[in-house]
Amino acid sequence: MTELRKVLKLRTVVSTSAGMAIATSCYLAGLQIATVLVGELAWISVLVAGFFCLLSAMCFSELTAIYPSAAGIKLFIQHAFNEKVAIIIGMFYVVLGIAMVGAESYLLSSVLVTTIPLFGPVIDRYLWMFFFVFFVGFINIRGVVITGIAQDIMTYVMISFLIGVSIYSIATHGVDVAVASHSDRFTLSNVIQAAAVGVFLFVGYEWVAPLAEETTDYRLIGSGMLWAIGLLTLTYSLFTVGLYIGLTQEQIREQLSSATPIPHILLGRNLFGPVGAGLFVVMSVLASVTSFNSGLLNTSRFSYAMARDNVLPRVFSNLHPDHASPWVAIVFLSALSVAVSLLTLLTGQYFFLIMMAAALECFIYIVAAVCVIRLRRKYPDKERSFKVPLGDTIPAVTIVVFAGLLIGLFSDATRDYEGRVLFQNYWVAIAMAGFLLFTTAYTLTIVPIFKKKAQERASARVKRRPGRA
Amino acid sequence: MATSQEILDALADYQVQCNDNKRLRKMQRDWSKLIHFVADDSGDLFTMNVVKGEIVSFEAGASGVPDIVVTTRSEFLCDMFWGDLNPSQKYLQGEIRVKATQEDIMRLDAITMIIWPDV
Repeated sequence: MTELRKVLKLRTVVSTSAGMAIATSCYLAGLQIATVLVGELAWISVLVAGFFCLLSAMCFSELTAIYPSAAGIKLFIQHAFNEKVAIIIGMFYVVLGIAMVGAESYLLSSVLVTTIPLFGPVIDRYLWMFFFVFFVGFINIRGVVITGIAQDIMTYVMISFLIGVSIYSIATHGVDVAVASHSDRFTLSNVIQAAAVGVFLFVGYEWVAPLAEETTDYRLIGSGMLWAIGLLTLTYSLFTVGLYIGLTQEQIREQLSSATPIPHILLGRNLFGPVGAGLFVVMSVLASVTSFNSGLLNTSRFSYAMARDNVLPRVFSNLHPDHASPWVAIVFLSALSVAVSLLTLLTGQYFFLIMMAAALECFIYIVAAVCVIRLRRKYPDKERSFKVPLGDTIPAVTIVVFAGLLIGLFSDATRDYEGRVLFQNYWVAIAMAGFLLFTTAYTLTIVPIFKKKAQERASARVKRRPGRA
Repeated sequence: MATSQEILDALADYQVQCNDNKRLRKMQRDWSKLIHFVADDSGDLFTMNVVKGEIVSFEAGASGVPDIVVTTRSEFLCDMFWGDLNPSQKYLQGEIRVKATQEDIMRLDAITMIIWPDV
């Protein structure tokens, strides 16, 4: 394999994968897990979720080993099924994924409205939400890329901070596991339900796969994902417990029904006063900006490639004349993010987006596992630098586990601390099914028109290569 | 299968088209890369040196440590340099493989898109 001048190391693959998953919304999701189960035992569900995600990471590792490309997701679905299915699922996954920014910008603005008051809560709320999306959109258009070393520093500082705070919280408050284990809430059903929400904590870890082309050995991506999941599992296991016991019951009750949820800021304040709160604000901003920046970077490049492939309107392939960034795609996706943020602000249903992201991840893990099995049948001799061991057992278990979690998630309801129903989760299924129908209809009706026009353009064009005119 | 000479002729034209395009030169003015092209069917290798958006040289063979490595069939390389092939489409089909950052992959494709927008 040819060496490149600059290559990514395992350290950076791990930090990128883990950095994608750490976001402000994870703090609230951690609290939600702690209340579905029993706070002191929430780590069990996080461990279960982490273990399930490890299974899916193995499937992604094999797929990356076959298609080590930024276009990997389209390629492996296309080869396992066909191009139409690849477009439908690819668009569904990528566009719905960016909707997560709605929850993220809403929760980050909650943090900043509460800690840095400027013009009043309402104006501040809009200001911070727009500023967050526009700032990230702007640096994307300017073509600013977070370097490997910067990503390493940010991710490892965030993880060290969360682990340190969690250990301090647990050490100072103590955890009575014996009492917690006798709680009515400590049931297998609740462990699994909390694990379904726990999948949200790992959202986006697989987005490191497009970096395969920047490594010397494609197996680094697989190893990096596994290490990242291990690190995230450890961090979140400690943090959900540390967060739960570091807050008062009154604070937990209030946070899970609050319009401005800031559980991590309250934890910081409880443990270390204003300095602790300030540190968590910095961590929140770092987590949100890095995850959204990476998300926008990936989705805008995906949109560019789709436009170049005549799947999306050609305008999405327009590049900025100075910075060579796909500015139309970035502006469109930023506008979409703002729209989702506004919708979240108007409805206050940020948990809806968190549930949707968890369901979307379950869905894509199922797709990945199905692709592994189908590709093994279709291309048994294709070179794989990594193959999931134990035959089809692990992909099959992945399908069963995540299908179960998905069904369990959709058939349940999202509740607050008192057990009051916030919304029935089948609405999440309906919203996702609606969007899947849209991408299907788009692929079957609009894409053929774009492809036909492209074909006509190509036929009318005189070939430049000598002898091919 | 395209011969080495055919690909070198295509590269010569590609160099002129790139360097004469003011819009492209402005966009790529901060882009300096050493690129290797590998024709995996014929085994031919080519090196192209881009300095601040200008293709300053190209040659047969692989020289230096590259920033980008493009691997595909010799016919595709030839067609791509003549502007008769959409690199993104082939990349998304898995028929062109690139080792580079996502940014560089897009910049490389941008060359074709700016010079031959109808491809």
